[in-house]
Amino acid sequence: MSLVTKSAKPIGHKRSLSDEMFITMLVASVAVGIFLLASVLVPNFFQWQNLINLVTNNWAVISLGIGVTFLLVSGNFDLSVGGIVALSGVLSVWFVQSTGGVNALSTGLGMPYWLGVICALGGALAIGGLNALFVVRFRIPSIIVTLGTMMVARGIAQVITQGSQRNTNLPDEFGFLGNLTMFGTSIRFPVVLMAFMLIVAVIIERKMVFGRITYWIGANPIAATLSGIDKAKHVTYLYLFSSGIAGVVGILLSSEFKSGYSNRGMLMEFDALVIALLGGVAIAGGFGSVVGMFFGAIILAVVTSATTGLTLSPDWQFILKAVAVFLAIMTQTWALARRNR
Amino acid sequence: MTNQQQSPVLSVEGLVKDYPGVRAVDDVSFSIERSTVHCLIGENGAGKSTLIKMLTGALQPTHGTMKVNGSVYQPNNTHEARGHGIATLFQELHVVDELSVLENLTLGMEVSRFGFFIKSDLEDRVIQTLKAIEPSIDPSARVSSLSVAQKQIIEIARAASSGANVIIMDEPTAALSEREVDRLFGVIRRLQETGVTVIYISHKLDEILNLGDTVTVMRDGKHIITKPLSEVSGRAELIELMIGRSAFQTHTPRTKISDEILLKAENLTNDLLKDVSFHIHKGEIVGFYGLVGAGKTEIARALFGADQVAGSISFKGQKVGRSPKHAIEAGIALVPEERRTQGLFTNLTIRENIPVMNLRNLSDYGIFRSADEVAAAIEYVDKLSIATDSIEKHTEKLSGGNQQKVVLAKCLFSDADLLLLDEPTRGVDVGAKTEIYDIIKDLADEGNSVAIFSSELEEVLGICDRIFLLYSGSLEEEFINSPDVDVSHILNVVTGGHEGAVL
Amino acid sequence: MAQFLRNYYIYLVLLVIIVILSLTNLDRFDLFARGNFLYDRNIINILRVSAPLLTLAGAFTLLMVSGYIDLSVGSTMGLSAVIYAMLAINGVPFLAAFGLTMVCGALLGAFNGLLVVKLKITPVIATLITLSLFKGIALLLVQDGVSAIKSIGDIKMPTWFNSYGREGVLMGLPMAFWVAVAVTIILVVAQNRTLLGKYAAATGGNPIAAKLSGIQTGRVVFVLYIIVGVTAALAGIARSSFMSLGDPLSGDGMELNAILIVLIGGTAFSGGEGRVFRSFIGALIIMVLTVGMLTLVPAYFQTLVIGAALLAAAASNHLISRKAAE
Repeated sequence: MSLVTKSAKPIGHKRSLSDEMFITMLVASVAVGIFLLASVLVPNFFQWQNLINLVTNNWAVISLGIGVTFLLVSGNFDLSVGGIVALSGVLSVWFVQSTGGVNALSTGLGMPYWLGVICALGGALAIGGLNALFVVRFRIPSIIVTLGTMMVARGIAQVITQGSQRNTNLPDEFGFLGNLTMFGTSIRFPVVLMAFMLIVAVIIERKMVFGRITYWIGANPIAATLSGIDKAKHVTYLYLFSSGIAGVVGILLSSEFKSGYSNRGMLMEFDALVIALLGGVAIAGGFGSVVGMFFGAIILAVVTSATTGLTLSPDWQFILKAVAVFLAIMTQTWALARRNR
Repeated sequence: MTNQQQSPVLSVEGLVKDYPGVRAVDDVSFSIERSTVHCLIGENGAGKSTLIKMLTGALQPTHGTMKVNGSVYQPNNTHEARGHGIATLFQELHVVDELSVLENLTLGMEVSRFGFFIKSDLEDRVIQTLKAIEPSIDPSARVSSLSVAQKQIIEIARAASSGANVIIMDEPTAALSEREVDRLFGVIRRLQETGVTVIYISHKLDEILNLGDTVTVMRDGKHIITKPLSEVSGRAELIELMIGRSAFQTHTPRTKISDEILLKAENLTNDLLKDVSFHIHKGEIVGFYGLVGAGKTEIARALFGADQVAGSISFKGQKVGRSPKHAIEAGIALVPEERRTQGLFTNLTIRENIPVMNLRNLSDYGIFRSADEVAAAIEYVDKLSIATDSIEKHTEKLSGGNQQKVVLAKCLFSDADLLLLDEPTRGVDVGAKTEIYDIIKDLADEGNSVAIFSSELEEVLGICDRIFLLYSGSLEEEFINSPDVDVSHILNVVTGGHEGAVL
Repeated sequence: MAQFLRNYYIYLVLLVIIVILSLTNLDRFDLFARGNFLYDRNIINILRVSAPLLTLAGAFTLLMVSGYIDLSVGSTMGLSAVIYAMLAINGVPFLAAFGLTMVCGALLGAFNGLLVVKLKITPVIATLITLSLFKGIALLLVQDGVSAIKSIGDIKMPTWFNSYGREGVLMGLPMAFWVAVAVTIILVVAQNRTLLGKYAAATGGNPIAAKLSGIQTGRVVFVLYIIVGVTAALAGIARSSFMSLGDPLSGDGMELNAILIVLIGGTAFSGGEGRVFRSFIGALIIMVLTVGMLTLVPAYFQTLVIGAALLAAAASNHLISRKAAE
């Protein structure tokens, strides 16, 4: 069978806007629209600094959203990321705390910082491995599995911190990474890392075989297997990546606050899921993009910060979140149905 | 008594069904007498299933009338057909595994007050119906613990106790063992005694000779004959009626087959397959022909490593059959039986569908070469004449034939030396069919081997060099295709003639 | 053997846990003495705390049997608790407050049903939306600066408020517990003796077959969401009465517990399979485990143990069903 010949005549190649691009543009324009709306309604909202804050204040959730988006595209949930954030943060503190503190909570394992971080990351990956084991090997629905591992991860963190936090007896360098500002601006390392991961994720998603395989698996797992794709291996990688990102986020948050707090990252898994859904990622798999997720995060950030700006009670955010997701889902279904009519 | 009793239970007059470009059912008229087993036979594509779909309300006829008990009958869906006493036993089972037999039998017919079940004779009635047709099934057993055959009997009993007086059975024995078939026949005879009429569709001629009262033969959408089976002399006559004047595309022997053996399968055995051995030469087109359930798909999947079977498969001297991934790497590709659920990524575009089986060819260090991907898509759209205005079109919006070509393109792109095609032209229009056959021949002429697994005789006789005949999991016969093959002999073999030997 | 295990393992699990806790907590030689696990006050305590989960177990099971899920039960509970407490503190008599809260629960359930059945939003997403929505409403109902509806200064909760969940009325157990028992009995009857139970199983087991048999599966699911809403409201009443306050967050995490107990009770996540009574036992197991455990290890072990139990239950369900299939 002959392969690609360059001389193919240009029939049938009309690049139309794909559904994914369409939804991403839709989400992006909603994000811009809602930002403008908030600017009209909320005093002092329309400021350059505020726009930057929308992104920088949400670096953690956006980072988690990357792994969650890839898994959703492959047709799997990951609700364990919030628990992993707590676990890896607490582990990094516990590993690095020096030995011989005054009480149990101030006594750690006394590892050097770099080793502590690597081991903490190992803990995070172990949870990801557990997810993969249950989802891929035992074929248990991913939503159940990751709810369970979310509790296991947070549970371990709670046991290590005895239900509170560890923040003493830490070397100075522990607070370095999380608070490092870069490029002579106030932008901190975690935000830069998030931006870097976003770019890498977009490249993987759009340009790389790995990304494409994720879509194939999500679009039709049976056809993917019959086309020679090792689904088990790929989903395992995705869970490991997602938990790895969550591990990094947990470690950076611990560093920022110089403490390991077992309730950190609470409900972050739901926020990560919410921004992915807002960004047009389909829960059924095979559809969605990291860029969409990013704009989903912006929508959510505008909604939350506008409520604060309008001096509404913070309790409103739950309702607004619900309404935003509801509208997003209904609009996307409606828009796609219209388009494909 | 009344003329209701005298008029046939079901009759069709001048029934026509047109599809764009094709007349699937052409002026069919016949009638079915009460309490008989009326068999419907014909080659694949003869129009049987279209006819049945009209009877069950799934399709509406273009012209013609259908009558039940002498009055006009125009069902719009299966539910309305049910209301007229016509029930269908579908090939996929519609029972609830988690409920008991009795609960399944009464499902949807319960007698209740304020939502609570109340005592009625319903349960006794359905149990009686069940006992009458199959006394060995315990009404309190959970359906999940029953065999496929028993589940089928539950469905029959449900239809019978819901007042159906005509039950349509479409290839009901495809998934049954021999003993289970005997049991089903017992059930059908007892049903008949209770006044139920059965329309029985099967390819297995022995079953028809054994069970039926009357037979209707269809060919090319036309009604050929309806006559009592007592007047049929045997298998040979039925086969004669089914094929009529041989209208088969004559096969021109190909010369480019090499002696080199590409694939060798030995003693493949699983639940269905019985010690199947064969080999395929380089540059050869082989056909596996048999009825539904004969083991075609099982062989294809085993060669591709999608299912594990006992026995050995060697391809170019190397063991294969571990996994699809491994098979593709070795140079085997499969076009699966179910295009939409197993072959195609329907929510992705043509361009995105094509490269899946050969990622290395389009990427460097894991990065896609997008330009080459586009070029490949354009090339295959062109080469296989896929009718589309853009390679960015979602494959779900393509017609069946074009979807099949995309799946084919996917496999061609994998650069396989052996292509396994499971029912490659099912649901494909005539034009696309010919095009697909041409592609297959070109491939073989280029030195690739192709194995076609098909239940259409015309297809295998039209393009295959060598043909294997399968019957219920065993390879019965092998022959070199030539213009003077004995079609009735082939039909005899694949309908169980070697065993029954009624010919 | 596999069949036997499948049918009775849950009772064995409960028994084993109780035996272990009884022996490890043996303060004195008398098993039933004060300080031991089997001491009657201790058992009454466990059952009192268990009332909300026991109330919810049956309805949640039926919904899962029909192949659907409700992640908003915790929020429904919290919102109901707030509404009930607000009614009580504003002088509405017990029965009226009780009835109105149940009606609210039914409406919340109907709202879920609407999203899932009419708007066809995936159950997980739809009930995640309402999880957030109901929680937000509950939080807004409580005025700023206060965490829950409770007696402040002159405004006091009526005295009956507390007794529903705490005061023993029969065998030392409070109303709330007996309501949970009554709900379970009603739902056991509903599962075995009514169209609803059978149609739920048919809908979850084989939706196409159910539809072909003329069952309106959408209506079945809608009714089940309403029932879940009502029982979640009852659970909220029990919890708020036990704690003497209307806490909007009092149901947080309830969806996890509910999923956990139905899995322990052997309910299939794919639908069709599951018994109300087994989930009731599953709820007892979890409550005995969590409360009993507190006497052995510090409270901060709880999340870990529940998470591990969830994974273990999911894995063992998987293994048992595979064994049975063989």
